[in-house]
Amino acid sequence: MSSRARPRASRRAIGIWVIALMVAVVATIQIRSQAEVVRSLVGTDTTSLAFLIDDLHRANDSLDAETAALTQRQTTLATGSNSAADQVLTDEANRLRAAEGLVPVHGPGVVMVVDAVGLQALDLQDALNNLAVGGAEAVAVNDQRVVLGVPIQQTSSGVNIGGVLVPPPWTISTVGDANRLAQAADLMTQQMRSDRRVRQATYRVEADLAIRAVVSERPFVYGVGP
Amino acid sequence: MSRQHLVSILVVAAVAMATGFLVAGQIKVQLLTPSNQVARYQALVRSVQDLEATNAASRRQIAALRSQIDALEAAAAQRSAATQALQSQVADLRAHAGLTVLRGPGVRVDIANGIPGPDQGGQTGYLVNFQDVQDITNLLFAQGAEGVSVSGRRITPLSAFAGSAGQVVIDQGPPITSPIKVLAIGDRNRMEAALNDPSAMPDIRAREVQFQLGLTFGGSPDMVLPAYDSSLEVPHVVTG
Repeated sequence: MSSRARPRASRRAIGIWVIALMVAVVATIQIRSQAEVVRSLVGTDTTSLAFLIDDLHRANDSLDAETAALTQRQTTLATGSNSAADQVLTDEANRLRAAEGLVPVHGPGVVMVVDAVGLQALDLQDALNNLAVGGAEAVAVNDQRVVLGVPIQQTSSGVNIGGVLVPPPWTISTVGDANRLAQAADLMTQQMRSDRRVRQATYRVEADLAIRAVVSERPFVYGVGP
Repeated sequence: MSRQHLVSILVVAAVAMATGFLVAGQIKVQLLTPSNQVARYQALVRSVQDLEATNAASRRQIAALRSQIDALEAAAAQRSAATQALQSQVADLRAHAGLTVLRGPGVRVDIANGIPGPDQGGQTGYLVNFQDVQDITNLLFAQGAEGVSVSGRRITPLSAFAGSAGQVVIDQGPPITSPIKVLAIGDRNRMEAALNDPSAMPDIRAREVQFQLGLTFGGSPDMVLPAYDSSLEVPHVVTG
């Protein structure tokens, strides 16, 4: 009797061990999957995603506005009238001259004044980029017109814009959407005031700000068009 | 089977079942929050993907409209010398604004994410960020670049760089990520000399050492920059 019972008991024991092993395997897989999900979220910044969505909404609104403007131009040109074509081309030339900094401009905007010791060209480039992100359409620093492409360089005497020294205090005049620019300027001046190099950082909103300075035209030497 | 043996098996089974319920309950509780996080995350990702698809479609439409406008302007210029003169002026302005394809000699700069340091928990210095792209672009323009593009996006006089660590947003385009390719047309020797200068772009140089951030560059006799395909409107500016 005992010789028949022993194999049956050992089979039961094996069965229990197999079940225990399966439970352990399933539990491990489940817990590891859980850990995997958590790990995939650790590197993800949902706040950044939310900001990205906001940026994309704004970008798509701008693209829609551009599409509408281009469609309007196309419709005007399609009439076949040369006076209409001349008007479209004249408007486009004026718009591009303003965007490229080739003509004086005015409009709503913000004036920032930053007085500091030891600020570098990189600091000014960062400030101008922040204003560009904030919707700047025309910018001048100490009456030197700046667009992307105008060299801002560090020299032993200080910061140069297009070869002209711009000593502090920097008066940064910006034409564009005054509300957005004011938000950008507010954040920037708050940050600057916490910088020990900065003695003063203020801004004011203006309903009609004039920028008289212009950028010199630079013909292509190396590049050729299509 | 003895009665004692049967009881012991039943006890083990009861304990195992109780443990199973406890473990299952615990896992369910712990899964609840991550499941919500996953759903929210997926919803955000889907929104980003939808918006990026709309963005790409709009930029294609803008490029097509600009091409059609070019053709209509060329047709009008055929009929009038005054229109032809205006068209020529606008073509030059468009070229300088980055609205047309530009080709010529130049340099190609590649920048790629490095490796996270062992003791850099939470730090993102190993990732390419928008300031890196901004610094490279500014350096190239300071050395006389006549046109610059970043991973297929043309830089204009009004371009702006934004984004978070690892993502670079230029103007109205979708975010671009490492590896990022910057092309610049201009004096190759001058631009290469500046890129070789160890004192230039100090932050990138430091992270090359600390995180093995990848920065490589080289000249090319013939490169092509794409035309800008987004908005260059200046609605708040009045000329004069």
